[in-house]
Amino acid sequence: MSINVNNLTKTFHAAGGEVRALDDISFSVKTGEFVSIIGKSGSGKSTLLAQLGALDQPTKGEILVDGQDITKLSGRKQTTYRSKKIGFVFQQYNLIPNLSALENVMLGLEFGGAPASERKDRSFELLEMVGIDADQARRKPGKLSGGQQQRVSIARALGNDPAFLLADEPTGNLDSETGAAIFTLLHDLSRERQTTIIVVTHDLDIAGKTDRTYTLKDGKLLTK
Amino acid sequence: MNVISRGVRGALRSPIRAGAIVIMLAISIGLIIAMLAAKAGVEVRISEVKANAATGITVAPAGIRGFAGGGDPLSAEQVATIKGTEHVASVASTLTDQLGTDDTNLTPSLELGSFGQRQQRFESSSGSGAEMTPPAMTGSAATGDAMRQAPTPRTTVTGTTDPDSVATNGGELTLASGKAIDAGGAENVALIGKTLAEKNDLQPDDTFTMYGQTFTVNGIFSTDNAFQDSGVIVPLTTLQTLTEQAGAVTSATVTVDSSDNVAAVVSSLKDSLGDKADITSEQERAESSVSSLSSISGLATTGVIGATVAAAVIVLLMMTMIVRERRREIGVIKAIGGTNAKVITQFVTEALTLTVIGGIIGIGLGIAVSGSITEGLVQNQQNSAATNRQAGPGGMGGPALIRGAQQGIQNVTGTVSPAVIGGGIGLTLLIAIVGSAVPAWLIARVRPAEVLRSE
Ligand SMILES: Nc1ncnc2c1ncn2[C@@H]1O[C@H](COP(=O)(O)OP(=O)(O)O)[C@@H](O)[C@H]1O
Ligand SMILES: [Mg+2]
Repeated sequence: MSINVNNLTKTFHAAGGEVRALDDISFSVKTGEFVSIIGKSGSGKSTLLAQLGALDQPTKGEILVDGQDITKLSGRKQTTYRSKKIGFVFQQYNLIPNLSALENVMLGLEFGGAPASERKDRSFELLEMVGIDADQARRKPGKLSGGQQQRVSIARALGNDPAFLLADEPTGNLDSETGAAIFTLLHDLSRERQTTIIVVTHDLDIAGKTDRTYTLKDGKLLTK
Repeated sequence: MNVISRGVRGALRSPIRAGAIVIMLAISIGLIIAMLAAKAGVEVRISEVKANAATGITVAPAGIRGFAGGGDPLSAEQVATIKGTEHVASVASTLTDQLGTDDTNLTPSLELGSFGQRQQRFESSSGSGAEMTPPAMTGSAATGDAMRQAPTPRTTVTGTTDPDSVATNGGELTLASGKAIDAGGAENVALIGKTLAEKNDLQPDDTFTMYGQTFTVNGIFSTDNAFQDSGVIVPLTTLQTLTEQAGAVTSATVTVDSSDNVAAVVSSLKDSLGDKADITSEQERAESSVSSLSSISGLATTGVIGATVAAAVIVLLMMTMIVRERRREIGVIKAIGGTNAKVITQFVTEALTLTVIGGIIGIGLGIAVSGSITEGLVQNQQNSAATNRQAGPGGMGGPALIRGAQQGIQNVTGTVSPAVIGGGIGLTLLIAIVGSAVPAWLIARVRPAEVLRSE
């Protein structure tokens, strides 16, 4: 699956006036590519991911996913797009605190429309794939380490075989060793499963190992 | 693991908070049930009182009220006119008289008291001789400074075609012992009030004298009214003959064939009797006498509304708090593909779970306390009614009905019927739905992009 972003602009109306978080951005990502986006805090990285994941509506421009402009979809279709075509990985993991690791993964499968009878087995498989054993799978997120929680969230994101995975600073809350392990996991998955991955990061080390790196500065894309 | 079970689990996520909310809801819902029960009990009583009173009309000679006032009794022709009026099912006629010490060997059982003495002061000033002086007063009378002799109490004799019209509860006259009299006949038989019977040591089958004739005591009756219990009941014709008032009647209680015809009968009686008689339908009077019952019912309604609003506000605040606390969780569910409907269903299920638990405990609580709450409401109402109550002259058929209604208040019990439980469950669901509406709106407004912001 390919992504073509054309002339994407997003402005916010904040108390201090208008903020142009994304300024006329255009780029494309090929199927199976592992892309990193770097930039200082406030440069618009999260805003870009939100537009790509149809979490937000851009002010201008188009995002073509396999030729279809997702910014023109109805609210209901955007929800379906999020559930079936996108996997999200967040800096704060964002697991549901009163559900076990297993149930968090099952929740993603439920929204993606997987049959109820298959959800549990598939969730165990996904968790095993990211290195979470059956015992850890039954724990609540609060009883898992940061690295383990991020592995669970990657399993949840991959559950519905998404066209691409969007990760916003997935290693930002982890120590460098754990962060490296998580990065390796993402890297291997993109190789094995041909999953297109767009990862936002601070870490230039990590960025250097991806297929391509885009840099954002004050909402503008710098091509190098 | 579906959206419903997630909702139920979410509700019990924090047991202390869930417990506190459940207790608050249980108290509100308990109050709702108790108030509904009190209302149902009162309404049952209102319809009873109305049904009893629905077909009664009282006809009294103009100007006569109890033993006060002047005017002529109703004549035999007038009674015949009443009986002949369309839709009149039956007429109970009553003539009352008072027995002086000359007229009977019975000792009155009424103490005059200061009120009674005042009412009889006009007669006693013209009284003659020792018979007017109660034994206890002889000493002070002898000192000579009394301007007039103290009056004696008198015994009331009621001649009636229907002894039940003397009953104070609007129903049948209660006989403590003995048997009834043939009120349609003309024999010298009597029913004696309980207090009078005790004072004179009379039993059924004993005899006494009245108007120079010997009467047989058929039975002893008792009402809850001290005035009535000091009286004598005889057949109407007997009293008419002995007092030389053939056909005369001081009160006629008319029963109409259907409550729908009461107004028509009242107006045709007003036409035919003109200004010779005062006509009052018990329907009108019952309206006013059930007003105290109605106000209990109104109070209970206010209570139901108040408790419902309180419970809805509790659910609303709790849900708003939960939605605000778990804003990120809502955003995450939306971001990973959960629809608005799913998130709202989950959170409304959380509210419903706590409301249903609160409802079950509350219904139990309500059933347990409905008795004492009804009692409390009624007690309160009686106290305020008592201070407003007018002490009208007794002795006539009419006021008995009002007393009946007031006595009715005492016997009101909370009724926890299936309808009350059903109403309680309905209101509980209404509480959950109303209480969840605003939070649902808040949930729908959470933007999924918020989850990417790290603060
Ligand atoms: N919802 C919003 N309302 C107002 N301003 C916003 C909002 N989201 C982001 N911004 C602003 O847009 C700019 C880019 O933010 P963001 O994409 O979060 O940056 P980054 O992820 O690169 O740190 C910042 O100046 C931020 O303050
Ligand atoms: Mg960011």
